[in-house]
Amino acid sequence: MTPSREGARIALAVGAALALGFAVMACVSDQPWAAFRALLTGPLPSIERAADGRVVVHRLVRFGAWLQDATTLTLVGLAIAIPFRARQFSLGADGQLFMGALAAAAISLGLGDTPTALPLAFLAAAAAGAGWGLVAGLLKTRFEANEIVTTLMLNVVAVQVYRLVVGRVLNDPSAGFITTPPLPEAATLAPLIARTTVTAMVLVAPAAVAAALFLLRRTTLGYEIDLAGANPWFAVRAGVPVARATALAFALGGAFAGLAGFHVSNALLKRLPVDLTPGIGLEGIVVALLARGRVGALPLAALGYAYLRVGAQAMERATDVPREVVLVIQALIILFVVSDRLAPLALGLARRASARIGGRAA
Amino acid sequence: MSLDLVAAGTVATVVVAGTLRAATPIIFASLGGLISELAGCINVALEGVMLVAAFAGVITSAYSALWFPDAPLWLHPWLGCAAGLLAGTALAGLLAVFHLELGADLIVAGIGLNILAQGLTVLLMAHLTGDKGSTASLTSFALPNLRWPGMDGVPVLGVLLNGDGDAGHNVLVYGALAATGWVAWALRHTVFGLRLRAAGENAEAALAAGLPVKRLRYAGLLLSGLLASGGGVFLGMGYLTLFQADMAAGRGYLALAAVFLGGHRPLGTVAAALVFGGATVMAARLGLLAVPAEVVFMIPPLVTIAALVLVKQHQRLAARRRAAAGRATLLSS
Repeated sequence: MTPSREGARIALAVGAALALGFAVMACVSDQPWAAFRALLTGPLPSIERAADGRVVVHRLVRFGAWLQDATTLTLVGLAIAIPFRARQFSLGADGQLFMGALAAAAISLGLGDTPTALPLAFLAAAAAGAGWGLVAGLLKTRFEANEIVTTLMLNVVAVQVYRLVVGRVLNDPSAGFITTPPLPEAATLAPLIARTTVTAMVLVAPAAVAAALFLLRRTTLGYEIDLAGANPWFAVRAGVPVARATALAFALGGAFAGLAGFHVSNALLKRLPVDLTPGIGLEGIVVALLARGRVGALPLAALGYAYLRVGAQAMERATDVPREVVLVIQALIILFVVSDRLAPLALGLARRASARIGGRAA
Repeated sequence: MSLDLVAAGTVATVVVAGTLRAATPIIFASLGGLISELAGCINVALEGVMLVAAFAGVITSAYSALWFPDAPLWLHPWLGCAAGLLAGTALAGLLAVFHLELGADLIVAGIGLNILAQGLTVLLMAHLTGDKGSTASLTSFALPNLRWPGMDGVPVLGVLLNGDGDAGHNVLVYGALAATGWVAWALRHTVFGLRLRAAGENAEAALAAGLPVKRLRYAGLLLSGLLASGGGVFLGMGYLTLFQADMAAGRGYLALAAVFLGGHRPLGTVAAALVFGGATVMAARLGLLAVPAEVVFMIPPLVTIAALVLVKQHQRLAARRRAAAGRATLLSS
């Protein structure tokens, strides 16, 4: 299918999911229209001209939240999309993100206020994520352990390791809750836009996508990963190291999820609370799916999906609709996007219905 | 001496009874996962099916008491049970339609339905009770316990048959055992079981032999939904007596792991589900000691991974031994 038709199909799926989501909202809410408006316009800043002629921008915080959410989602999307090139269903972005965040925070706290802290924390996060990804990869290639199960189990382990270390090793006793001490100034990223949490990581995400694209398209490893996914039997016969390529695909994806962890620890929160909520890694699936496995389309998909997520938060604050309605919309998007025969079926039914109405009118 | 033996036996049976209780939802779901897997359709939506079934069961039993205040009390939990089974099976039916009719990828659609179940249950719970955490504000009902009479003073056997507090086991614990027997028998000894396995083993050959493969796969997915719903209903109306957000807590995925671990065989699958149940009980027992809770929570997932690896090693060794034995007989003849 051509990219433009594919794009139209995805737009149709998203539109249908939003429409059904609205129907659900109308069922559970007294103010569905207000909720729907908040969902769709929440992330936008409002620009007003004040009485004295100056232009005032409101709600930049949410606009910033949109950009930083898209950054995280792009990176975890990569963590899903790269193993998928080797036809591996990795659901392990969550665990890799937690490991990356933990490594980044530990290195930052260990090195203190030195100029090397920032790059080293960045590398440590990528390495920790890659290592955690590699475990799942090796379990798959060495022991044929189903990767859906192992990555989900490794997520649980990673979250518990994170809680153990934050709660018992890196704990700051002077804080009123269980958390690490604030990370040193030199190790954290300053905001690019005032009053938001948008940092240089917003530029790192597209750079990461470009790097992944280069790796997949222009290097031997990328070619091997694609071959291992396209036809593993043929690839083995042709002498391609399929097992190594598959395991490295997991590790590579994990490195990007680790960077998402760095984004969380050193750019967003600047200290790690013990109850950091898992789940963002699974959102990467939606992003990878919306991009239809095309790595280059990930940032766009992430921007679109982050828009919906931030809109849902705005909606929850403004109206009586809980943000979980976005889970419903998200699920419907997934189902509609992967149902290849849905669009032709719907179009055929519509055509038949219109033909019948036309025939009756004639 | 004999007192020590009785005490040790009692502790052991308490653990066994606890394991059975903790494993019941996983047994139900893994039997479901096994049936659809054998029909050639991996059912990733077990988790969502359990959630929906638990939610529908709890809510229906609570509202049944409000709608039919004059009905006898025993009716409400059974109405809830029926609604839970129906709702869970319907979700599995949705998966079947999306996969078999609309060409959706089975794994992705399964994940999608899990997210849908998670979102819908919380949304409806918030709408009905005003609480996003649990249905504690509603009075819902549990399915009854079965108690063996006359086991009051019997030392070890009494605990095994009637549980720790002599309250008996929930009827669905026995349901899980019965379902195990039925699935093992049906897969092996009925025409339906044979056809189901044929459809999963080699769809083209089954089609050529005139089997309705698509209908068999529908049957496999719907049955897996029904069985997993049993686990969900137990969670909301036996294990606990309320619904909590994300109540299945990964048991659906554990059930999937049990199917792989058990080598796609009914008894192996149930044995694996019992191992997972035992890991939970062990974790709870260790939690009473000075072991940090985080370490305790790591045990079930680590057991799962270790078991997957060990089973694979075992199968590999067995295959090598068989090959060696085959060579030896060839050479000696």
